[in-house]
Amino acid sequence: MHIADGVLSPEVCIAAGALSLSVVGYSLHKMKSSLGDRTVPLTGMMSALIFAGQMVNFPLLGAPISGHLIGGVLAASVLGPWAGCVAITLVLVVQCVLFADGGILTLGANVLNMAVIGSIGGYGILSITRRLLGRGRFGTIVGAVFASWLTVMAAAALFCLEFRMSWLNSDFQFQNIFTWMVTVHSAIGIGEALITGFAVSFILSQRPDLLHSSEKPAGAVGTFSRALAAGVVVALAVAAFLAPFASDFPDGLEAVAERAGFNELAAEPKILVLDDYKVPIAMHGWQKVSVSLAGIGGTGVVLIIGLLLGRTIKPQAANAEVRE
Amino acid sequence: MTSGYLDRYGRVQSLCHRLPAHIQFLLAVGMVVTGLSIPVELWPVQVFLICVVFAGHTLAHVPMSYLFRRLSLFLPMMLLLSISLPFSQGFERGWEMMVAILFRSTLAFLTMLWLVNVMPFDQLLITLRRFWVPEVLIALLSFMYRYIFVLWDELDKMRVARRARSFGQGRTIHQWKVSAQLIGMLLIRSMERAERVHSAMCARGWDGHVRKLDSTPNTDA
Amino acid sequence: MENASSQIDLSIQNLTYRYPGGPAVLNQVSFSVQSGEVVGLVGPSGAGKSTLLMHLNGLLPEESARSENSAAVTVHGLPVVKDHLKEIRRAVGFLFQDPDDQLFCPTVLEDVAFGPLNLGVPQQEVRDRVTTALESVGLAGYEQRSTLQLSVGERKRVCLAGILACQPSVLALDEPFSNLDPRARRALLEILKSFEGSQIVATHDLNLVVELCSRVLVLDNGSIQADGPTHEILADKKLMDDHGLEVPFELR
Repeated sequence: MHIADGVLSPEVCIAAGALSLSVVGYSLHKMKSSLGDRTVPLTGMMSALIFAGQMVNFPLLGAPISGHLIGGVLAASVLGPWAGCVAITLVLVVQCVLFADGGILTLGANVLNMAVIGSIGGYGILSITRRLLGRGRFGTIVGAVFASWLTVMAAAALFCLEFRMSWLNSDFQFQNIFTWMVTVHSAIGIGEALITGFAVSFILSQRPDLLHSSEKPAGAVGTFSRALAAGVVVALAVAAFLAPFASDFPDGLEAVAERAGFNELAAEPKILVLDDYKVPIAMHGWQKVSVSLAGIGGTGVVLIIGLLLGRTIKPQAANAEVRE
Repeated sequence: MTSGYLDRYGRVQSLCHRLPAHIQFLLAVGMVVTGLSIPVELWPVQVFLICVVFAGHTLAHVPMSYLFRRLSLFLPMMLLLSISLPFSQGFERGWEMMVAILFRSTLAFLTMLWLVNVMPFDQLLITLRRFWVPEVLIALLSFMYRYIFVLWDELDKMRVARRARSFGQGRTIHQWKVSAQLIGMLLIRSMERAERVHSAMCARGWDGHVRKLDSTPNTDA
Repeated sequence: MENASSQIDLSIQNLTYRYPGGPAVLNQVSFSVQSGEVVGLVGPSGAGKSTLLMHLNGLLPEESARSENSAAVTVHGLPVVKDHLKEIRRAVGFLFQDPDDQLFCPTVLEDVAFGPLNLGVPQQEVRDRVTTALESVGLAGYEQRSTLQLSVGERKRVCLAGILACQPSVLALDEPFSNLDPRARRALLEILKSFEGSQIVATHDLNLVVELCSRVLVLDNGSIQADGPTHEILADKKLMDDHGLEVPFELR
């Protein structure tokens, strides 16, 4: 998920960097009002936690690579969107400058894709889901799972956009690399949804008070900004699946974004994603694969939710595993 | 993982290590930017620059085995990313792009590895402060660095405890669940520790305002 | 207010505390500590020793950071309420049980300087205080050392230095000797013996209480069960047995 130097052009890096800088700067300001003098210890510790957590291996059925936590939604679910964003930013900075993991010039793009979209966008989705499905165990776990998968897909879309803008003067087709990205990120998203879902489920069973709940009353402004964040993520996630078609239909991305923005406030995000799956477009080989994977991804997300919630029916068994 | 891990080669003495931190930083970033600015067609220049970076590593006493190990993890990933390029319209253009991306990213990666190894963490913080990064971010980085190792140790202990009680592989999903719960447990413990640290900070007059000791010419703080 | 020879540093009157929704952890606790006195606080686990100590510098009750009401605890005559918290936290140095909870900066210099900087001490004086504090705990020259690579004993001593740099008049110590090997324990003990202000030390290590403390408080079930000279209290076998303690070897 970390973009290396050389993949994106300097102009795109600067643009992404400027955007990230302003959002992170804003987050720094906002998190102080929500965390007060606990800002440094809580956010710093969360950064250390995400960093340590990313070292945990999640084996992939004998494959040489393993899955890892990204952590945007996890951080936001405990500390809220702003501190979550800053925490992930710190992790990315440390990974870049102490591990050479992810480029230095592409740091802005990485922060945008993972900290801004991942945490702030993820919190938007989590929050909206809890509002729609209730703030209990059900709503929170469903929200965490959705938020994880959707933010990873949104990061994929953003990467495709950044890559396209970097190589604007090239005259070759981008479908294949986009399809490849979407495929890979769909799998990563499933992994992230599983890990975050299990982790949040565990935290709910032990210390539900640790999960961040907004102090803001259900006023219009609070809901609007959360819907906005969620809407951006969903629009991007949808765009991810249309990215392989983008060269054929340059207006496709814009049309989808508009529709997603208007429909978002009323409808459940998941239905929106599957709706576009049915868009009748002539498909070439690779694109069929991508769209099929969209379906599989969506189904996978539903299965994960079932898995996580199913286990809550057996509290004795869950507790026995939990006691370490 | 011990605290020496991140700074393994940071305490070595060499020409490169003796450069002031901000010079090291600017050199590295400069090299990355240069690499990116070279047009795709001039890829031999990239190769030359890569040799320059290898020379830098030699000057900094970085072992070649370490470099090759890191490269062996990095290059396959980059290959996977760029392999789709030649398989699109026009093999020539695609190969050129793939080679360009590979060289640029390898050059940048090796450069960052150089920087990682010649600049220990405390120097990094000083450099960041010099480049106008807000104090609160520096305090956060400092704090994070302090506790990464504490959490790593706790994670290790929990993993050992788990391994001592698991009798065989178990389904993959089950393994994922247990590992994710480890992370959840670590999160809970860490947040509880953060509360205790907050109390300790308040006990010594903390009010949320980050205060720093000025550097004096003869110390590194 | 009080004359110099019998100055009261700490005064606790009828302190009662319960966690939200729980039973009383501390019940009508009353005692006072004179200037220069070293008091040992002993009792079985869960008796409320840590909770009591955390009242001495306003970390508990949670409302003390916000409330204006009169408090059960006064330090140098100042009630522990919001307005006086800064001065009280300077006057009462609190050593936590786990040094990793208290040592949160990457270098020793930064950590020991933390307190004085928060107190608004000028930069050069901060450095002087750090040097003095590190010398008094036997870690002279440790300023540039990374806190990550110190032993447990060294970390405890750096924490103590961090507190001493604030120039407190009272030390509140929560299990200071736990997890230390005999040499580190001895080193810490000698440092504490040389401290001139008053101390209240919560500990399980009764042998060290005999050496360090002139007075002992036995805390059990949230209230003070005994208060008197060390040799009398700790040698009372029945008292010790009743409260899950043992008579220290030297007093048998």
